[in-house]
Amino acid sequence: MFKQFTENINGNQAYLLFSLGIFFVFFIVVSIMLIRIRKSHIEHMSDLPLEDSTINSTKSLEP
Amino acid sequence: MQPEKFYYDNKIVRNFGIATVIWGIIGMTVGLIIAIQLYHPAANMGNQYTTYGRIRPLHTNAVIFAFVGNAIFMGVYYSLQRLLKARMFSDALSYIHFWGWQFIIVSAVITLPLGLTTSHEYAELEWPIDIAITLIWVVFGINMFGTIFKRRERHLYVAIWFYIATFVTIAVLHIVNSLELPVSAFKSYMVYAGVQDALVQWWYGHNAVAFFLTTPYLGMMYYFLPKMANRPIYSYKLSILHFWALIFIYIWAGPHHLLYTTLPGWAQSLGVAFSIMLIAPSWGGMINGLLTLRGAWDKVRDDVTLKFMVVGLTAYGMATFEGPMLSLKFVNGFAHFSDWIIAHVHVGALGWNGFLTFAILYWLIPRIYKTELFSKKLASFHFWIGTLGILFYAIPMYWAGFTQSLMLKEFTPEGILKYPNFLETTLQILPMHMMRSAGGAMYLFGVIVMAYNLTRTALQGKLLANEAAQAMPLEPVHTIVREGAWHRRLERKPIKMLIAALLVILVGTFVELMPTLTISSNIPTIASVKPYTPLELEGRDLYIREGCSNCHSQTVRPFRSETERYGEYSKAGEFVYDHPFLWGSKRTGPDLAREGQKYGNAWHYNHLMDPRLMSPGSIMPNYDWLITQNLDTSLTKKKINAMRTLGVPYALGYENKAGQDLDKQAQGIADNLAKDHIKVKSNKEVIAIIAYLQRLGTDIKANKTASK
Repeated sequence: MFKQFTENINGNQAYLLFSLGIFFVFFIVVSIMLIRIRKSHIEHMSDLPLEDSTINSTKSLEP
Repeated sequence: MQPEKFYYDNKIVRNFGIATVIWGIIGMTVGLIIAIQLYHPAANMGNQYTTYGRIRPLHTNAVIFAFVGNAIFMGVYYSLQRLLKARMFSDALSYIHFWGWQFIIVSAVITLPLGLTTSHEYAELEWPIDIAITLIWVVFGINMFGTIFKRRERHLYVAIWFYIATFVTIAVLHIVNSLELPVSAFKSYMVYAGVQDALVQWWYGHNAVAFFLTTPYLGMMYYFLPKMANRPIYSYKLSILHFWALIFIYIWAGPHHLLYTTLPGWAQSLGVAFSIMLIAPSWGGMINGLLTLRGAWDKVRDDVTLKFMVVGLTAYGMATFEGPMLSLKFVNGFAHFSDWIIAHVHVGALGWNGFLTFAILYWLIPRIYKTELFSKKLASFHFWIGTLGILFYAIPMYWAGFTQSLMLKEFTPEGILKYPNFLETTLQILPMHMMRSAGGAMYLFGVIVMAYNLTRTALQGKLLANEAAQAMPLEPVHTIVREGAWHRRLERKPIKMLIAALLVILVGTFVELMPTLTISSNIPTIASVKPYTPLELEGRDLYIREGCSNCHSQTVRPFRSETERYGEYSKAGEFVYDHPFLWGSKRTGPDLAREGQKYGNAWHYNHLMDPRLMSPGSIMPNYDWLITQNLDTSLTKKKINAMRTLGVPYALGYENKAGQDLDKQAQGIADNLAKDHIKVKSNKEVIAIIAYLQRLGTDIKANKTASK
């Protein structure tokens, strides 16, 4: 399956390398963002669907 | 600060829910009818308006944009309000959105059977409807962002990012793929031609799957699954990672629909590489969903909504593993154009989209009607017949795909094709097609049972149109300390989120589309390839109207099994005047790229009148109306002008001569048919379509004759 990459890219390696580069940088940036998020915030975000603040909902008025 | 009281709008959710069920039943019924036509062509009832080529797009559009589309809006309108602790921005916009979308669907139901189509798959609707879609999509966007701006929850939950990405990407895809030059109120030509048009179409087609059938459903999964299981999502960090990775990677993968075609090799390779990478974020979503249920699997036993969710997520996992495998060139050369692909998409459509929709409907309808589900037994029955329906659908289609592809590629020891007649392979798989329609019928029956169950549920309850809620208003932004990581800040800023998502999808779009669209050396021209004659152009428009490309491809791949069967493999330069391209994506019948001059005019005439006269056992429908209907030439002039505007080198003023040329060529074909004792007037549609078919792929042969 890798033969096609080496054979078909004549003259256009720049595009493949460029795409790989962008993806790599992008992936690193997202990973850094993830590492920097605080645990309390993650918990707050995960609980969002469970508290919809309807009046008869028990969690509606908790701070 | 005092808590504010407000009301969630449940009525709009209910309306979209009803539309989902009704259009689901209609779309699937059309699917069943066309499935039956594939082994019993007379199931078109002898009627052009209900023939496969015209209503297959009706089936795909109805299930994608009507069934799934309404389900998306149902899920978004329910979850968005609750995640933001705010009523929808404007009831009027909700109302316009709902009725506008239904109007668009009705106009599709009318125009597609009439043969008014652009022929771009999943984007068949003609330009006035494209404009209507754009307007209604903007209404949806304003309503969504309006709600986001008046929210009472600072941070946007991951489901909402998926909704934002859906909104912005579908807007980009729809606009770029709908750039058409109108010729009349319901006829237009794509601005791109040939390989460029193909690239744009499959960049669109693939990402319509990504951003209409996948991202909104992942958003809904992230909201409704925690609700149903009453526990938070397994990993919120994983959801962030897989969101950004998914939208970034998906947009690059479109060219895997064009492997072994004349698309530049590097673009094909790029599409394959990114398709393989897609496994990671796709499975990230599936694993996150399934692991949410860890420790709660006992609930799955009793709760039918969770059963639907689990099978839906599993189907998603299977389809998103299979997709990358299908994009490997080796597998693709075998699977493409075959029933394997039909199995693949239906695992996704029936399993992932269908089952998630059913789970949400079963969960949501009793809640907004403040009652219990009418019958758990019927819902359980629906689950089982739906699951069996998927199996009875998919397994025969895999089987049919393998069988037919193996037969088409088989050579005798002497080196000639073992099954030179395409029809032999078709007849071999008819039993599988019969089983497939039984599977589809089971699935449809389950949906009808659900409709009954939900109707009884609604009747025994009362709609809580406005559900009271209470939440603290947001503090003004300046009182918030600028703390937290980048992403935490991004979650507070919807517009920045929108721009970030847009940038992420534009990267892949530009790298992939720009070289092929702008560098002319990517499409080597061939001197002997000339524009179509006026009659051929009219014939081509009939070919588009009848949806011939739904069953016949027009691109010969460079395999020995194909060059032996069809002739020389296709070159990019052969398609430079094809607005739109007509390569097709499925070979229910043989490829037609080299059809020209293979048979005589009389053969085509008889074959179109009744295919079984020339090919006993053929499953192609009769096209007898082409013989009785007169060719409409009122637009020929305008069509020539439009083509010239798009860059087709018709001489200036040729439009005035075009009518004469058309008549002359038509008379020639009629005279030729008369020699074979076929009496037909030269102004009938069949003459034009024969002219087009006889032209197909012949330009390159002319080149050879000349050079000899």
